Amino acid sequence: MTTPGESCPSRSYSHSTVQLFRFSAVSWNAHRIHYDESYASFEGFPGTVVQSTLHGEMLVRHALDWAGPDARLEAVSWRNQATAVAGEPLTWRASVRSAEPGDGGLRLSLDAAIVKADGTPSVTGTVDLLL
Amino acid sequence: MSPVAEDVLGEVLARARDLADRWEEEDCGVVTVKDFCRYAAALNDTAYIGRARADEAAGRPVSAPPLFLAGTFSWEDGPAEDELRPDGLTARESPCTQGLPVRQVHGGESVRIGRPLVAGTRVRAARAVRSATRKAGRSGDFVVLAVTTRFTGDGAELASVDETIIVKDNSQA
Repeated sequence: MTTPGESCPSRSYSHSTVQLFRFSAVSWNAHRIHYDESYASFEGFPGTVVQSTLHGEMLVRHALDWAGPDARLEAVSWRNQATAVAGEPLTWRASVRSAEPGDGGLRLSLDAAIVKADGTPSVTGTVDLLL
Repeated sequence: MSPVAEDVLGEVLARARDLADRWEEEDCGVVTVKDFCRYAAALNDTAYIGRARADEAAGRPVSAPPLFLAGTFSWEDGPAEDELRPDGLTARESPCTQGLPVRQVHGGESVRIGRPLVAGTRVRAARAVRSATRKAGRSGDFVVLAVTTRFTGDGAELASVDETIIVKDNSQA
């Protein structure tokens, strides 16, 4: 499970409009593209837009879930490549970039992405964990 | 590109240069177990809520979800609705663009986690625009703002967040 180049099992999911609204509310994000479909359309989006920070959460949460209960997040970085919207099928993919001893455990770095149904990356990034 | 568009993005750049590396301090308040649990609920993470409430009931420290600070978009009390921009953002959330016809999206983020955040901590943030760069894209020019936020609590760094904000001219809309 920790060999560089090894792939993690992918995870498929989508975000509902209710989840986007609740995440905007709890994170105090009033940007209308995330919960007001008519405004999102006015800005040229095909639906309410998944928050960048929600993508970040998904990158991390699937990585931690894969790594197990002893894993701790050290760092994450991501770049938004293509907008994803509510209801859109998304897939989390990741592979082990490096696995090295560190801080009394194993320091894992994953190359991770959130990919749209046509294979286009919506988000690409790295997740650094300590096991 | 129209002269108006050049003025808009040029103004964003000029404001960003004036603000560059000028750190603004913010008191984010004392975070609670309820704050953490509501955040987790929005992520459908009921397992976190169960653990957090059990820790709280047992008198153990309750740690936040690891991206709680980075994921929380704003720590302001917030203005009334009539002070929001047309897109719903506040002036703080859209640095360098107050009163300008722009729209913005998030470009990406880099988060480094420090000491775990536990409920009851008073969190402080320091935030600054670090750079502004004008770029050309398929649909016209845009400005990339780089913003850094450092969160601290009880004298320790809790998280450091570097984010990019893409600002586009919207004066023709």
